[in-house]
Amino acid sequence: MNAYLALARASLARQFRYRGANLAGLITNFFFGVIRVSVMVALYNANPAAAPAGYDLAKAVTYLACAQAIIGWVALWGWWDLVRALKGGEVVADLQRPIDFFGLWAAQDFGRAIAQLFLRAIPIMLAFALVYPLVGPADIGQLLIFILSFALAWFLSFTWRFLFSILGFWVTDGTGFARLAIFSATFFTGFLMPLSLFPDALAGVLRWLPFAGMVATPLDVFSNALRGPEALVAVAVQAFWALALYALAQATFTAGVRRLTTQGG
Amino acid sequence: MTQPIIALENLTKTFRVALKPEGRSLPWARTWKTVTAVDAISLAIGRGEVVGYLGPNGAGKSTTIKMMTGILTPTAGTLRVAGRVPWRERRQHVAGIGVVFGQRNTLWWDLPVQESLDLLRHVYRVPPARFAENLTRFRALLDLDEFRFKPARDLSLGQLMRANLAAALMHDPGLLFLDEPTIGLDVVAKDRIRAFIREINRERGVTVLLTTHDLSDIEQLCERVIVIDHGRTRYDGALSELVERYGGDRALQVDFADDYAEVAVEGATLESREGRRAVFRFGRGVTAAALIGRLSERYTLADLTVREPDIEDTLRRMY
Amino acid sequence: MIFIRLASATLRAQARYRASLLVDALSALAGNGLEFVALALTFDRFGSLAGWSMGQVAFLWGLTEIAFGSMDMLFGGFDPAVFGQHIRRGTLDMYLLRPVNLIAQIFASDIMLRRLGRIAQGALVFAYANHVLALAWTPAKLLYLPVVLVSAVLFYGALFIAGATASFWTVQGLEVVNVFTYGGTALNSYPLPIFDRWLRRFFTFVIPTAVVVYYPALYFFDLPDPLGLPGWVSFLAPAVGLGALGMSLLVFKWGLRHYTSTGA
Repeated sequence: MNAYLALARASLARQFRYRGANLAGLITNFFFGVIRVSVMVALYNANPAAAPAGYDLAKAVTYLACAQAIIGWVALWGWWDLVRALKGGEVVADLQRPIDFFGLWAAQDFGRAIAQLFLRAIPIMLAFALVYPLVGPADIGQLLIFILSFALAWFLSFTWRFLFSILGFWVTDGTGFARLAIFSATFFTGFLMPLSLFPDALAGVLRWLPFAGMVATPLDVFSNALRGPEALVAVAVQAFWALALYALAQATFTAGVRRLTTQGG
Repeated sequence: MTQPIIALENLTKTFRVALKPEGRSLPWARTWKTVTAVDAISLAIGRGEVVGYLGPNGAGKSTTIKMMTGILTPTAGTLRVAGRVPWRERRQHVAGIGVVFGQRNTLWWDLPVQESLDLLRHVYRVPPARFAENLTRFRALLDLDEFRFKPARDLSLGQLMRANLAAALMHDPGLLFLDEPTIGLDVVAKDRIRAFIREINRERGVTVLLTTHDLSDIEQLCERVIVIDHGRTRYDGALSELVERYGGDRALQVDFADDYAEVAVEGATLESREGRRAVFRFGRGVTAAALIGRLSERYTLADLTVREPDIEDTLRRMY
Repeated sequence: MIFIRLASATLRAQARYRASLLVDALSALAGNGLEFVALALTFDRFGSLAGWSMGQVAFLWGLTEIAFGSMDMLFGGFDPAVFGQHIRRGTLDMYLLRPVNLIAQIFASDIMLRRLGRIAQGALVFAYANHVLALAWTPAKLLYLPVVLVSAVLFYGALFIAGATASFWTVQGLEVVNVFTYGGTALNSYPLPIFDRWLRRFFTFVIPTAVVVYYPALYFFDLPDPLGLPGWVSFLAPAVGLGALGMSLLVFKWGLRHYTSTGA
């Protein structure tokens, strides 16, 4: 366990080193959030009655603010470390370490995510709270469910990123796949618009796919769009996909290593 | 020396550097200090010379080269290359020079080498007939046919260097800057590059300014060396004289025919001994012949070798 | 002409990797396309945006995306992120060692064919807009449309060049430039009145990105400006595009002088 902790801590410290870059990223994230919120406000102003029952503007704005905040936590714009390590062959050294490969990369990514939580997520939420009226978890139970859902979102996103990154065992350059995975994920995760505002049939399907658990679920829990039993079901779906993707990732990884060792890299 | 091709007079370059490395601090929160990278250097290089430009890392070598190639403007002093001020007439200036940085590739990475050379013909406006002549010559000298139709990305380091040398000389520059041309290459590849440099210098009278960490490059190519350190010229003259002046002791390696308990000779100190082999060091005051005479009076000798101090050793003494 | 030869070398190099070019272009088409789909789906529920119909917003969106995608393809060498790498890897020094105009070399060396994906996406959205809007195209409007498109390309290009100039000084912090480039574009995809006054003013008067897309769109729709600017503002696009490009090139040359005096 200590090895994982040390890895996570090192990767966290690395993120904190670039203050200027982090500040710049923060401003950019916030600015794009303002554009998206402006669109949302205008839509609601056009026809407030068109919104689904109980889904008011405050919830929608909170959702979008959280969406900007969660980008770094789930590395929505991509994560190239493992893709590069596979391409450059550094992975062979990792495979020889007496440590679980998935765990090794998960620990490092968790450190990165924690750093992003403090450097991006929290400051962005504070900035939005200053400018727009936001809502938060209604009670302590809701808050606990949110924390669980938020943690699962990271795990889900990590296993997903891990999965497409290790496709690099089979192709010489996995960047194309990675890019495709990112672009499509922004839509299916509910990052672009609150799932609650999508047509019901589509939203219903998306909520059962693994992607919603990476962004939409914790955001809906935070803004109280999903409450009580509904929220628990959504978190259970997240947990199911987390396990399923984890199993899939391990199986794919084993097959990849077999390919690497039989072909000699 | 008739009209020099490179003339520097009191050439100076100072930089303002941030005390904390970038990334650690925000731009407006940095504190600065001024560093003099090149401190009033004056020198002249004649046409057709092959000059070694030496100095430890951070001595100001690459700053000087960057100014001579027109990438960097000096803070003070004057600099003329082929009568031109490099940074003021950049395009005319670079049309008359060739540059090869060992760590960098100037060819189109994804295109076959031949296509890169064809492009450079247009970049430098080389007349087609002249281009064809040069191509034929370089194909022979550098064995370009081995990889001419492969993209640069598929070349070995040695092949890449050969291709880059050809690329740098297609437009008949009178002056060639070489920065670490043999870095990372094996002995055979190094020899080939050196032979090529000698050849184009002899055949075409190309002036060559060479920086390198591989002192065999210098020993095999340059008659003149310039050594700089802390932005100042420390030595400028013949290589042999540099060795003479700063050179350390020579070494005499002796293989005795018999096992002697103790070996010693007047005028030299025993440096190492291993079985029947001993190495003695001796200074400029003694001749090798005298030492050998004294040794053979006392011992039976099987073999002898005299080693001149190498330039690496010499430079280490200078810094 | 040497520029054409250099540019064609860049294109030939990319054509050698057809498969990855195709994947990249398609993922850009899909990614940006889904962004529009997400907007359209949400829009459908509410019906209008500041009085604009979906078709009208699609018109803005398509125009902006075609212009930005084309700019991203043609001005790829000035993409601040790419340009920063050229400085660090010494590619810029290599360009300086060739007897060819530096700016021409930067243009020619990074023409990004994969941006065709984004352009195609913009074209599809624009075609959809024209389908649903049934605009009354007069000859004057038809003539002005390509002018607006080119002006927007030049204007966005000027933003890239200004951003590239910043990378002569700093590597980190460069992401802020995205606010003006990608942010300015995102803003162009929606009707201006939905934004706060300070944003509107900033992007009309300081970095006049609204003048190259939104105001011309008002002319195409025969709409008065709800914010009260006179109608001729719709025709400032070419002046603003050309002016911005000229200014950015001046700034770039100044940055280059800084670079050659410090070596960065």
